[in-house]
Amino acid sequence: MASIPIVESTDLRAEFFERGGENAAKCYQCATCSSVCELAPADAPFPRRQILLAQWGLFDQLMGDPAVWLCHQCNDCSVRCPRDVAPGDIMASLRAMVVEKLAFPGALGSLVGNVRKTWPLLVLGPILFWAALIGITTGFGEVETHHGLQPGPTMGQYFYDALVPHSLIYAVNFAAVGFVCLVLLVSGSRFWKMMGDRQTRRGSFVGSLIGVVTDIALHRKFASCERGVPSRRWGHFMVMWGFVGAAVASGFAVVFLYADTPPFSWFFALPFFEDIGYPVPITHWNKWLANISAVLLVVGGIMLFANRLKKGDKLVGQTTAFDRFFLWLVLSVIATGVLTEFSRYLVADPSVGFAVYVIHLGVVLSLFLTLPYSKFAHIFYRSLAMVHQRMTST
Amino acid sequence: MDKLGVFLCTGCGIGDALAVDEVIGAATEKGCAATLTHGCLCAPEGLAAIRGAVSEHGLNGILLAACSDRAKTREFAPLSSEVPAVFRTAIREHCTWSHPADGEGQTAEDTTMLAQDLVRMGLARLNGMKQIVPLHEEIADTVLVVGSGRAGLEAALTAARLGKPVLLVEEASELGGQLAHQVSIPPEEPPYDAPIPNPVPGLIAEVKADDRIRVYTDTTIAKITGQPGQFKLTLSGPEAAEMTIGAIVQATGAKPYDAKNLGHLGYGTSADIVTSQDFEAMLSAGAIVRPSDGKKPHRIAFIQCAGSRDDNHLRYCSSECCVNTLRQVAEVKKLEPSIESAVIYRDIRAPGHMEHFFVGVQKTAEMMMTRGDVDKIEANGKLSIHLSNSLLGDRVQIQADLVVLAVGMVPQSADGELIRELIDSRHQAEHSESSQVRATSAKRADELKHHDGTEILHLGYRQGPDLPTLKYGFPDSHFICFPYETRRTGIYAAGTVHAPMDSAQAAEDGLGAAMKAVQCIEMAKRGEAVHPRAGDTAYPDFFLQRCTQCKRCTEECPFGTLNEDKKGTPEFNPLRCRRCGICMGACPERIISFQDYSVHMVAEMIKSMSIPEDYEEKPRILALMCENDAVPALEAAAANGATWNPWTRIIPIRCLGSTNIVWIAEALSAGVDGVILVGCKYGDDYQCHYVRGSELANTRLGNVGETLQRLALEPERIKVVELSHDEFDRVPRVLDEFSAELEAMGPNPLKGF
Repeated sequence: MASIPIVESTDLRAEFFERGGENAAKCYQCATCSSVCELAPADAPFPRRQILLAQWGLFDQLMGDPAVWLCHQCNDCSVRCPRDVAPGDIMASLRAMVVEKLAFPGALGSLVGNVRKTWPLLVLGPILFWAALIGITTGFGEVETHHGLQPGPTMGQYFYDALVPHSLIYAVNFAAVGFVCLVLLVSGSRFWKMMGDRQTRRGSFVGSLIGVVTDIALHRKFASCERGVPSRRWGHFMVMWGFVGAAVASGFAVVFLYADTPPFSWFFALPFFEDIGYPVPITHWNKWLANISAVLLVVGGIMLFANRLKKGDKLVGQTTAFDRFFLWLVLSVIATGVLTEFSRYLVADPSVGFAVYVIHLGVVLSLFLTLPYSKFAHIFYRSLAMVHQRMTST
Repeated sequence: MDKLGVFLCTGCGIGDALAVDEVIGAATEKGCAATLTHGCLCAPEGLAAIRGAVSEHGLNGILLAACSDRAKTREFAPLSSEVPAVFRTAIREHCTWSHPADGEGQTAEDTTMLAQDLVRMGLARLNGMKQIVPLHEEIADTVLVVGSGRAGLEAALTAARLGKPVLLVEEASELGGQLAHQVSIPPEEPPYDAPIPNPVPGLIAEVKADDRIRVYTDTTIAKITGQPGQFKLTLSGPEAAEMTIGAIVQATGAKPYDAKNLGHLGYGTSADIVTSQDFEAMLSAGAIVRPSDGKKPHRIAFIQCAGSRDDNHLRYCSSECCVNTLRQVAEVKKLEPSIESAVIYRDIRAPGHMEHFFVGVQKTAEMMMTRGDVDKIEANGKLSIHLSNSLLGDRVQIQADLVVLAVGMVPQSADGELIRELIDSRHQAEHSESSQVRATSAKRADELKHHDGTEILHLGYRQGPDLPTLKYGFPDSHFICFPYETRRTGIYAAGTVHAPMDSAQAAEDGLGAAMKAVQCIEMAKRGEAVHPRAGDTAYPDFFLQRCTQCKRCTEECPFGTLNEDKKGTPEFNPLRCRRCGICMGACPERIISFQDYSVHMVAEMIKSMSIPEDYEEKPRILALMCENDAVPALEAAAANGATWNPWTRIIPIRCLGSTNIVWIAEALSAGVDGVILVGCKYGDDYQCHYVRGSELANTRLGNVGETLQRLALEPERIKVVELSHDEFDRVPRVLDEFSAELEAMGPNPLKGF
């Protein structure tokens, strides 16, 4: 059998080392990391092999490697590593590299990959975009709302759709979501094919997907690997469910908004869905759902943030620009979202509330648009990798 | 000795386990001039009692029937200078501790009989002992150091600091050896994480500035004759010289394994495949370039174990190439940070503090590493390294612009014994009367001819002109128990000629060897053996009138002590002697005797044992046990409460190799039912203090089997057992198993005749 020439990428290696992967050079392949990892499958243990490949710059072999994503970075390995390689950090840096290199279009991948330098553009761009859009469309003047309700104690002192009509939000955000879906479809199919080329999948996709969704919903993988930082698990759990709750509440809000319009009108045959007009009062259950989600997001967000402040703790690991950008973006979305709501009730001057609201819309747009290129993409790649693993191991 | 006293200690439980009167009675029967029992012989009162009896009765030989001669040495040692002959028999360990009267299968009667025999044997030994008159020879103080690498330089400086004149002889025209031009060496002090400057230039300057050290460069040794303290040295070089020297440190170092043999790694197919030494020259010159085109390489691949741990090349690990490569990687990073270093290893061996160095280099150098077997290296512009079994995949190729082969080290030694065999074979091939012998000798001479001209020390020894080598050509001795000893007394190997080692170890080795050399000179002045019977002033006496020139002694001495004259009569060099008695065991004429140990003395000890005719109750077994390993193991067993059969009579001997066949014959004809010899492990990983003693004993006893069969005795009545120092738990088993085997055979038919 002839030997296979292996293709190394020295440029990528240098880039990888610059972006938090330089400790890979300290590895001497003892495999303590793979031995202590609770998540590593016995027939394809990680992260030893991934660190070796990274050390040599063999990134081709890492792009379609599900192991990179099966890791939940509990950092057990980093604590035990006799060489201070911090394998958990290496895996995190590898994920950042995969996100960037599989990105479509590639230029956007590099833009976000280079976030240490490009972050002002990525954050201020969408905010300014919103400001400009509002300036052009409504000229920051109040527009007539279609519901004709009056502000009050349960309604807040003013309505945001008086500044930014819902149609504008749909126009921007639905377009952004459409773009994100398209991009993810391209990157995801590349990733899916790369994994498939390495290992044949046998099991059922749907069955595996259900299993994976259950795992994620209950944070089962976190539970099996977590050792020293329960705040990471629970923080992540709360933030994830907070986002889910906020998304669901937003969806229902749309339903209430268009209560008299098909296809939404049939909702009002269901219990709890009586047409109460719009905006719904703060005492309504959908507001409760939204506010509980907000609490989860705030508490979870603080836990994750506090966790990252523990510098030098091997269980926490390093925080790269890639991590920092995503974390701050999420925290900004949470903070501006909550402040937007509070302002309406607490600050009489609508310009404060409106200013916060514009920033909120900006960071939400930033979060959406960078999703396929930022750390947010883990929700997508990791889920695919977990489905792939289920399909290959059954 | 004729006026003997027996002193029986009854302390440590001895008195409780024995019928003391009967033991003393056995001594009186043998015609002792004085007997004494004391509750604590080692106490000042006990010692005073001994001294009183000695002066009262004018004793010239005393038997201390108490504890082992390993115990209470400080208390009893002064007696040796006061009384001409002192012998200690270990009643405590060999008899009472291991045969308590109330023990299982033991009776007070048997224990007492054992103690009586120990006393009888001790007296028989004392009877034969003569007063020791130590040698007083004129001893030269100078230490000769051969070779000036780091080990040689350290040895020279150490000997000089200890006040000895030193001759430093170097074959090359400059000092420094292999390290002379190395840019750096691995770290030798905390934090051990980066290379340190090469200390060799500083050592050279120090040596040159030291007026106690005379340096001879471009010089080789023409001849060394004589013995430690009195070596006659002839130098050949620009300043031919003759002088007398006391001891020798051979620090001739090692050379890199010849990479021309490494065709499978592509050496010779491309100028860009070089050895670590070639690469070191680039580092010293400060320019890392591909020899083929003079361009800076993008990536350097270091191949570890190039021709090492390989049955076709060097079978051993040279122990320093891995760390040397790490150092070179660090130097590359320092010199040209843009060059990538990849290391392909079998397993990185960075022992001890070098682990910190490994970590340090990994932290700074960003090197790549993988385990892997190199199948081949192809050269076509770039170098393509084909690996199998690598961590990167079973069969992969990786690219490099420059390949550095980390070759192992080959000791610069000469195999003295084989050179001697070559000389003998050539002589036989010409002079033998038998044409068959002439033919086989000629063939052997042809096989050995590559040893021609390899001599280094040119020793005038019967057994060859250089140190005998052990595994792989290293003139090592026992690396744990006596690391600096070679098989030539007064000649110490140090540095990489001694064993594969790194620079720091070579420095330490040079220091240690120089201290041994100085010790050898000082002890020779006092007429004392250096090793392993340090301080022993007795030495063998050859009664040459009865010598038959059989040459067994000259051939079997593991230390080349004996030369031969033209007729083959041994010429004894007492200062070379280690006092093992292997010559004594070999001699068929039994003409070799120490003042305190001889064939006759041990034979008399055997004859003094009482052999009850009633076998059913009282069989008798003789155990000849090596005093270096087997006896300490036995005594440790006794101290740990082990017990064994009361029929075995133990005689500690210096080395199993000193066993003379006469002793076996004496024992069997006296009616002893069996003889067991317990000695050290032999073979490649021998533990014998005298290297070949236990092996020689085994060979000799192999020949005895036939003789026994002729006498209608079972060969199984003689047994040889190998036992190491730490196997004390085996001792009772070994002795009791033999006893059971003899019981199955029945009594010695010669009993009672």
